[in-house]
Amino acid sequence: MTNSPANETDGWGAYEIRVKGRLEPRWAAWFDGMSLTTHDDGTTSIHGNGVDQSALHGLLQKLRDIGLPLISVTHTGRDRPDSATSQPR
Amino acid sequence: MVAPLLESKLHVPSRRPGAVPRVRLNERLSAASRTALTLLSAPAGFGKTTLLTEWLATLPADGPSVAWLSLDRRDNDPTLFWTYVVASLQRAAGIGDSALSLLQSPQPSIEAALAVLLNDLHASGDDILLVLDDYHLIEAPEVRDGMAFLLEHPPPQLHVVLGTRADPALALGGLRGRGQLLEVRAADLRFTPEESTAYLNGAMGLALTSGDVAALDGRTEGWIAALQLAALSMQGRDDASAFIAGFAGDDRYLVDYLVEEVLARQPADTRDFLLRTAVLGRLTGPLCDAVTGREGGTAALLALERANLFLIPLDDRRQWYRYHHLFADVLKAHLQEEYGPEVRELRRRASVWFEQHGEPAEAIDYALAGADFSRAADLMELAIPVMARSRQESTLRSWVPMLPDEMVRVRPVLGVAFAGALAQVSEFDTVGSRLADIERILRPTAVSGPWPEQPPPGVVVVDIEGFRRLPGNVEMYRAALALRDGDLDGTVSHAWRAMSLSPPDDHLTRAGAAALAGLASWTTGDLASAHAGYAEAVAGLRRAGHISDVLGCSITLADIRRTQGRLDEAVSAYEEALELAAVEPGAPPLRGTADMQVGMAGVLLERDDFPAAAQRLATSQQLGEHNGLPQNLYRWRVAMAQLRAAEGDLDTALELLDEADRVYSGDYSPNVRPVPAERARLRVRRGELGHALAWARERQLSPDDDLSYLREFEHITLARLLIAGSTAGRAAASLDEATGLLERLLVAAEHGERGGSVIEILVLQALAHQSRGDVAAALAPLHRAVGLAEPEGYVRVFADEGPPMAALLKPLSRQASASRYVRRLLAATSTTERHPPVKASLVEPLSGRELDVLRLLGTDMDGPDIARELSVSLNTMRTHTKNIYAKLGVTNRRAAVRQAGELNLLSRIRDH
Repeated sequence: MTNSPANETDGWGAYEIRVKGRLEPRWAAWFDGMSLTTHDDGTTSIHGNGVDQSALHGLLQKLRDIGLPLISVTHTGRDRPDSATSQPR
Repeated sequence: MVAPLLESKLHVPSRRPGAVPRVRLNERLSAASRTALTLLSAPAGFGKTTLLTEWLATLPADGPSVAWLSLDRRDNDPTLFWTYVVASLQRAAGIGDSALSLLQSPQPSIEAALAVLLNDLHASGDDILLVLDDYHLIEAPEVRDGMAFLLEHPPPQLHVVLGTRADPALALGGLRGRGQLLEVRAADLRFTPEESTAYLNGAMGLALTSGDVAALDGRTEGWIAALQLAALSMQGRDDASAFIAGFAGDDRYLVDYLVEEVLARQPADTRDFLLRTAVLGRLTGPLCDAVTGREGGTAALLALERANLFLIPLDDRRQWYRYHHLFADVLKAHLQEEYGPEVRELRRRASVWFEQHGEPAEAIDYALAGADFSRAADLMELAIPVMARSRQESTLRSWVPMLPDEMVRVRPVLGVAFAGALAQVSEFDTVGSRLADIERILRPTAVSGPWPEQPPPGVVVVDIEGFRRLPGNVEMYRAALALRDGDLDGTVSHAWRAMSLSPPDDHLTRAGAAALAGLASWTTGDLASAHAGYAEAVAGLRRAGHISDVLGCSITLADIRRTQGRLDEAVSAYEEALELAAVEPGAPPLRGTADMQVGMAGVLLERDDFPAAAQRLATSQQLGEHNGLPQNLYRWRVAMAQLRAAEGDLDTALELLDEADRVYSGDYSPNVRPVPAERARLRVRRGELGHALAWARERQLSPDDDLSYLREFEHITLARLLIAGSTAGRAAASLDEATGLLERLLVAAEHGERGGSVIEILVLQALAHQSRGDVAAALAPLHRAVGLAEPEGYVRVFADEGPPMAALLKPLSRQASASRYVRRLLAATSTTERHPPVKASLVEPLSGRELDVLRLLGTDMDGPDIARELSVSLNTMRTHTKNIYAKLGVTNRRAAVRQAGELNLLSRIRDH
């Protein structure tokens, strides 16, 4: 209960993760409210703000567990966390 | 002592009817019984578990034994993980009884258990396949380290097979390089077009055209779970080709798409059952009934299994099942969407069911997953005594961050257990503030006030027994904190308060507090109080049945007795502990037995009984290192070194002491007989005074130091060094220093009632007088030493001094009143050889100025500083240095200083 991403200077911020396959909106809940965008090329990108390293790894593990092929992980900025939803447990 | 094992985790899963034969993969896997590690690494749904199951079924009856373990997240507790691993090996090959008893002992040591396990595996006549399925669930570094250890020392008979979704953090490169790694990966596991055809048109009974199969195969890329779902969706459909066309042209997440298809084709109540039970990690009929709120769960599970709906039986009796993980995850996503808030209620029902069926850990997991924290907190509080008894500290520790802090703050029984679990794993950071929180909420008016009889309003207590023990627990952990901070008075006062506040039946808290008080008193040299504390701890631990801990405390009890010069009582302490540890024949001896043998050897040696001492040390060694408590590694080596030295083999003694220094572990005891000081004594005996001097400098010892019990052994060693320095013909003043130091040491030892130290100091006083040539003065302290030593049968404290002591004992033995004891001492002493100091010298002696420079070279001053200090030019200083190097035969500063030490060129200690 003592996560304080604000103290972390490395590896914290906004991330975009792109996976192969179009994900239905219902999966947003599975990824703790991160936003999903589907693309015409049959891929989906998952966006999260204020993601720290352990949250990022937790997310990658979830993707692994449902067998979604990972295409890329991009650090897209250093936005402040805007809501608790960006912290998957 | 660990929670009852789940039998189903140890079963090889049942074979699936109609599984596609995979001859190529079975053949590849046959090499697994020749390599140390086989890695089956691929994402979810690639048929890893099925392949393992099918392959194991093809093994011949006389093939390797198979130990199976299906892992889950809870196995991240090292004690639990290794208990399961050993249980599976036990079942498969009858191996691991000793390791299991170590893991179940009150003080389990994973390293010790692994060492024993490796021994047993090495001794095994058969090859063993250890299959760990779902290894990707293991994230705890402690568990991974243990696995790495196992694979670094792989017994040739053991073959580990890991089924995993991610490559494990093991040194795979090394294993690969040595040809000890077999890998089967996603590319190998995918269905080939032939296998797809065999599966779809054979096992699933579809009649697809080769074009349809190719289209399916192309879209799924041989991903088996997707092919299975597709086949399920097509069963009983007339328009398979149309379905395939639609499916192949869709780019949605495959499994999601297919699960939706499958769900759509189920009757409403089956669909509902699937979704609601998806929250369960494992399923059984009654549990499903509890969660769904309906009856017929057992029948529903059987029907799902028959319909091939991704239900995997976990045992032969069709009692427990689990969903295929991938299927369950997708079901859960659908469940979340359709049932939303109700999902928490489903998890709560599962939690209640597990609680009622005596599985608190599982009940806690469901409560946490359902974010029902107060329920989780209640369950944790009630589970604490069991977790503490079975030493699942890391599980206890892992619970700490899962509850909101404000919830723990109003639950003092839970809070103190968390503080204790953190202290146990040496994470002291928040222990103090947690204890303060508890005191603040229970004694709001005055922290010194009485503890409440009943929980005050607003405070939540589920475990009333735990509340009674709370004040004692808080004070005990405060004592531990004080000890860690070096506050010895605080340790003692908190510990005494803990004992007076604990209910009489709380043996463990009372024992823990008594031991902490004993430890603090020992550190200050108050041996009587220290002994009282440890004796109290031993009594409490005996009542609580923690015998291995009794042995740990007995080491200290006997150490204290030996320091007090009460050898008989030390022997009784060892004997009582050994009697207590005597177990029924066949069972492995209790951990700590080896330590008692080593202690006994020490007393026997002091009493000059070499054969018996050697016998005890051999017994200790035979018991194995795993039988020893942490200190035994070094203590055995020190005792053996003393035996070898007494026998005259000083080289082996030195090697043993070097080793002892490397493996030293204090295990929280104060280091009252440091190994380097033991080694300095041996150096003195070998005549290598330079080494001993270097030790004294490094320890910054001086004859004028203030004396304390903690440094007594070092100061007595220093006195020995000073006497030896004077007889070697150098620095006559050192004899005066020795005499002065010994006088002060004697007063301190007498005051502290340390009879053992008194005898040794008197012996050294006699030798100091003798060095001066005053034999008459020497006889007085010697006479006293003999008088004190006789009742306890000391011999080596005299005999190890060799010829000089023999010369002193001779006149004593000629006196009319001389006892047989003195004659015995003389006989033992006369057989001890004295090694003359090495008379190494320089061909060309150093000049006075060169000696000055050499002395400064031993400091951290640089060249210009040294030149300034000696008021010479830098050039002159360099010339001196060059000459020194030449005379000493060295080429650099460090070697010069070392050589100076060897040759004892700078013998005055104070010249540093």
